[in-house]
Amino acid sequence: MRIQSFVRLAILLSLMLGACGCTALGVKPWQREILARPAMALNVEPIDAAIDDHIYFSKEAASGGRSFGGGGCGCN
Amino acid sequence: MQLKRPASPLHLSLMAASCALLSDTARAQAAPGAAEQPLQIDADLLYYKENAGRVQTIEPVVSLKKDFGDQRLLDGTLTLDTLSGATPNGAIPARTAQTFASPSSTSLTPKPGYKTTLYTIAPGDLPQDPHFKESRVAGDLDWSQPIGLDNTLSYGGHASTEHDFDSVAAHAGLSHDFNEKNTTLSAGINEEFDRIHAHGGNPVPGSDYALYEKEPSQTKNITGGLIGVAQVLRRNWLTELNYTFDHSKGYLTDPYRIISVVDDTGAVTGYRYENRPDTRTRQSLYWVNKVALGPTVLDLSYRRSKDSWGIGSDTVDAKLRIDLGTGMYLEPHARWYHQSAADFYNLYLIETGPAPTYMSADPRLAVFAATTFGLKFGIATSHNGELSLRLEQYAQKPSDQSSSLPGLQGLDLNPNLKAIIVQLGWHLVY
Amino acid sequence: MPREGGIVAVCFVAMASPCELLLETADAQAAHEMGRVAAQEAWRIESKYSRYRPESIVSVINRSHGHAVVVDGETAALLDYAAQCHALSQGRFDITSGVLRRCWRFDGSDRLPEPTAVAALLPLIGFEKVRWQAPRITLPTGMEIDLGGIGKEYAVDRVLALVAARFTAAALVNFGGDLAANRAPGTGPWQVGVERPGTEREPRLLLELSRGGLATSGDTHRFLLRDGVRYGHILDPRSGWPVRDTPRSVTVAAASCVEAGILATFAMLQGGGAESFLEEQGVRHWCLR
Repeated sequence: MRIQSFVRLAILLSLMLGACGCTALGVKPWQREILARPAMALNVEPIDAAIDDHIYFSKEAASGGRSFGGGGCGCN
Repeated sequence: MQLKRPASPLHLSLMAASCALLSDTARAQAAPGAAEQPLQIDADLLYYKENAGRVQTIEPVVSLKKDFGDQRLLDGTLTLDTLSGATPNGAIPARTAQTFASPSSTSLTPKPGYKTTLYTIAPGDLPQDPHFKESRVAGDLDWSQPIGLDNTLSYGGHASTEHDFDSVAAHAGLSHDFNEKNTTLSAGINEEFDRIHAHGGNPVPGSDYALYEKEPSQTKNITGGLIGVAQVLRRNWLTELNYTFDHSKGYLTDPYRIISVVDDTGAVTGYRYENRPDTRTRQSLYWVNKVALGPTVLDLSYRRSKDSWGIGSDTVDAKLRIDLGTGMYLEPHARWYHQSAADFYNLYLIETGPAPTYMSADPRLAVFAATTFGLKFGIATSHNGELSLRLEQYAQKPSDQSSSLPGLQGLDLNPNLKAIIVQLGWHLVY
Repeated sequence: MPREGGIVAVCFVAMASPCELLLETADAQAAHEMGRVAAQEAWRIESKYSRYRPESIVSVINRSHGHAVVVDGETAALLDYAAQCHALSQGRFDITSGVLRRCWRFDGSDRLPEPTAVAALLPLIGFEKVRWQAPRITLPTGMEIDLGGIGKEYAVDRVLALVAARFTAAALVNFGGDLAANRAPGTGPWQVGVERPGTEREPRLLLELSRGGLATSGDTHRFLLRDGVRYGHILDPRSGWPVRDTPRSVTVAAASCVEAGILATFAMLQGGGAESFLEEQGVRHWCLR
């Protein structure tokens, strides 16, 4: 079934990334000054992201993916 | 060992300075435990406008975030949404004038106790309800706190209401850092409950537009989950992969959408209310990268989505945050989106064909490609604040816009959509 | 993890260093509790002052783009201290010198930066250019502050004070070689071994400490070598270039870890004159070349 192969791909990619964690990929605590910049945070502009998600939710069939937690609206 | 000499003047000064630093007064002013952070306030105003007299939105958003120390955060957001303008009702343009009721859920035939407003569409024009008006209020409250050294717990709720739709939702999530905080695993669940009570009552899905068959207000339920892994790849590169799924059950039909029924020459013979399946399962794989190239930061993401209605989509999004110095930045943005159509999507129905169980002419379920191009400008202000302006253009180009039927030749059955997005933002740390 | 002679050691990691709290006690429960107090305080200071943390006050100040930032009493005390040390060292000790990290990479190679690149950073260095009037600090755009030079020693003294206020036992706090003790245990002075990696003679210095602080400033790992000339990583903020002829290692004992640390730092900044500088101050010191 189509959804099964999708799940397999997802698990494979996650394991790959998880495995990266186990092979000491990353930086030492004192090498985090670039990562500490606000622009490097994954949720740096949460309101822009929420507004975009709302616009694309009401104009397109796919939605979210980044995270969830929002509720619905009557627009789709 | 050296002979001890009396302290020099420099040493005495350093001794005094060190004592002053470690003195009780300085210590007393430092809060025991973690310091409390100030309040962060965000106020934004969105203006969204589509072409050809279509939907227009003005949406103010206010958000407050308070850190109670130790990374315990409370986040509250209030959103107001006012929509107006004309919205397509799902019917295709025809060679003759067409008359509809507004909103679509009311009837062509006036019935006692129901307010009916009719509107007529000129031949060749896309049927749009010009009286569309909606207001929505939404509130979100979220809490997150650390658990032990390496875990974060978060949970929150959402509630929104508009004239024809109410929604409540709750979510909870847990994340775990390891590998010297280079890897983070996250998992979360989400539950949403909606009530749909269209203006004039919910039409029976799939029923004849002219017959005015109603059913009581309906509900739908969405259960979702997320698992994700974030990994620091290099000093300047962070990546995250998220898998999300959600399952919707209940009334998933749009109560205002109709689908045109035509004969085999393309002449319009009537309309039906749309009818969508009462379940929908969606899965998404989202991959995002943040790469610092000097003072510039690149945000590049890809999302692949599939659902049980047969819709598959791809999204590529790129943002470049260019630091101009002196607290100003410029952020160009480009997004490309493509989706395939739902199994039950059709531009129109042919009356001589078999009557399908599910049907919809909603352009949001059609095959189309969409692009977004935008630019954001920000400038730092006092109080660690920021003022920003974002201008974007969104364009949707459907694949199926015409028909080979003689009666529909030369008509654009699903026109391109263009919209502008203007957002003013003000961020303040108080 | 009990040691011999009734000393309990509680270990944790903070500020990218192995940390330990040594207590002369038989009460393992109390020792564990004091260890928790010590770790919390170390993490509090790290979270508040580390430039690698986006939520720290240092990061907030470094992002202020020329706007004034209001700081609390503890931060004001640290900034006052940095200002005094800047003056007392005639500008050699400067918490704004961190921007030099953009052109200096001490990876043991022979790649020196272009003199023009170093000169271009000098306008962004100089604590005298910072407007500091408690409680407001205004950093001109492009400048940065870094409290890494005094943060660890400050944390050692603060943790010792917190523990000593709650527990009467003899205590020693050791954050990766920077340490302080309130008094000697009943069995005699604390026996301290100072690691000096990379030095062939006397790689481990053994000394006794009853009370006070001990700090070591070292130059062994991070350097550049070109044409037979060794460029250590201690930079002179006035020129942007490394201080010449610094000792490999300087260890100082003083009344507190902060005081020991600043004396060790000042000594390194004197380069060839480190030993005579420390002689003049009348402190217990150990230099290695």
